Amino acid sequence: MAGKSSSVAPTTYSPSPTLKKQQRNNQQQPIFKDVDWVRPDGRAFQHCRPAFLRTGAVNSASGSAYAEFGNTKVIVSVFGPRESKKAMMFSDIGRLNCNVSYTTFASSIRGQGSEHKEFSSMLHKALEGAVMLESFPKTTVDVFALVLESGGSDLPVVISCASLALADAGIMMFDLVTSVSVSCLGTNLVIDPITEEESYQDGSIMITSMPSRNEVTQLTLSGDWSTPKIHEAMQLCLDACLKLGEIMRSCLREATSAPHE
Amino acid sequence: KSFASKERRLSIRKNIKRQMGLQDTSKDLVGNMEVDAFRRLFPLPFFERHLLESIRPDARPLGTARDTTVALGVVASADGSALAKVGYTTMLAAIKMEVMTPSLGSPDEGGIAVDFHMPPVCSPLIKPGRPAEAAAVLCKQLTDVIISSGMVNLKELSLIPGKAAWMAYLDVYCLDADGALFDAALLSAVSAFSHLHIPAVSVNDDGRVVAVSGELVEDNLVKVTLNKSKRKLTLSCIPFSLTCLLYKKYILADPTAEEESIMETSVTVVLDLSGRLVSFYKPGGPVLAHTSALQDCVALTRQRVKELQNILNEAIADMDLD
Repeated sequence: MAGKSSSVAPTTYSPSPTLKKQQRNNQQQPIFKDVDWVRPDGRAFQHCRPAFLRTGAVNSASGSAYAEFGNTKVIVSVFGPRESKKAMMFSDIGRLNCNVSYTTFASSIRGQGSEHKEFSSMLHKALEGAVMLESFPKTTVDVFALVLESGGSDLPVVISCASLALADAGIMMFDLVTSVSVSCLGTNLVIDPITEEESYQDGSIMITSMPSRNEVTQLTLSGDWSTPKIHEAMQLCLDACLKLGEIMRSCLREATSAPHE
Repeated sequence: KSFASKERRLSIRKNIKRQMGLQDTSKDLVGNMEVDAFRRLFPLPFFERHLLESIRPDARPLGTARDTTVALGVVASADGSALAKVGYTTMLAAIKMEVMTPSLGSPDEGGIAVDFHMPPVCSPLIKPGRPAEAAAVLCKQLTDVIISSGMVNLKELSLIPGKAAWMAYLDVYCLDADGALFDAALLSAVSAFSHLHIPAVSVNDDGRVVAVSGELVEDNLVKVTLNKSKRKLTLSCIPFSLTCLLYKKYILADPTAEEESIMETSVTVVLDLSGRLVSFYKPGGPVLAHTSALQDCVALTRQRVKELQNILNEAIADMDLD
């Protein structure tokens, strides 16, 4: 590091204003309450971002997937089934070990990724209902996710990408797992929100489902909601999950039909 | 991969099958599995068979590096970023600029902070929560090479002498670890610097540096505009590297992780574009090298530097076209 005198890193700050400061400065909070408010990226309220999915992104892993939803870029590796840690007790069903981490440059302010420590356990809860743990007794399947860039709606993208990676690794599952989130902004419901929309949201709902079985493995609801709005949002999520499930299936089909080296 | 080298690789596998007593070519699938078992059980003899024919299991000649690609601007939230792939080894480097107070000894210079991470995504040997040993070693190597090469003129990172300067936080993440990690990491770091755009900023009344956004905020607070539009750094003496393995009388350029685990002695040479030596690293190992072997490594690196320079220039040209 430059600077001969300091062995401790100098304190630095980022010149870009944080989103909250922007809100205060611009006083643009009520803009989305405007009837003809358009989303910053021009999407309709009911449109998700176009998804780019690819399996086999990491050669060292048993299975892996890379997902890009707009500016949210996630890479997931699956290792296993492999030997559990020696300290673990015997288990006649398999174990699932999940870890989600952020790069330091994922969000606009450096190092903000450590605010999402609960994502690892949420990913575990989303997947454990779908994975056939009895098919790999005594062993562990490790699912490691790295968020390369956080553009909003991070956890749903991580969950969908993780399920794709598990399928690529050949881990037996009841069905693919897909996840979508919806934000409530005033009276509007927007699906697959970006970071800016998430910062203005009054409430958010995230659903993780197994589309072909029409079963929900995880539902997270937070903020200000009225009961009819919840029903509407849930239906939006489930429909989007169904479509996303088809996209993931076609991605897997392409991967298997591609010529093998 | 040339046709001739692939033919030779297949003929070596046939020879191994014949020696293991698998004559029946109709059972080719079983035969291949047996060869793969031989590869796992006796890795050194497997590699030696190939080295005798001056070739490696992936059909590469001994002095050839793997296919290399560089993509710039892959992370939109960073001020400069690059993804470098050498064979399967993948490195993602990104730079974020923050403002710091320059040190008293060098008031007109900014700083560079280099960090190297090996997340559990990249390799089955890494567990979350426990950083890999290799990560710390590579981090130090990378920092030393980047700072001492003088590629970035720290004076270009100054904003207001004595008051404010840029600190460039370079983070390199390994996404897939398949050998020769340092080469890919250095390539991605150098590419990220060549893609770096320094944001346009101005100074507030209270001495704080703020970014100039599209819509100008309160005019009365903006005192001095430090740079009107984004600018790039001028890079000189860009360093490129090549890692080679030494085994008996063979020199293998750009090893894969499998090769590195079997033949442990490695030599890393870093040269800049004018052919000057920036760094030479031979961390122990069972093989002791003669001067001739080291000179051969340097010669291989010289060739590689030309290749990498072309690859980087192409990537920059592609970026400019967009």
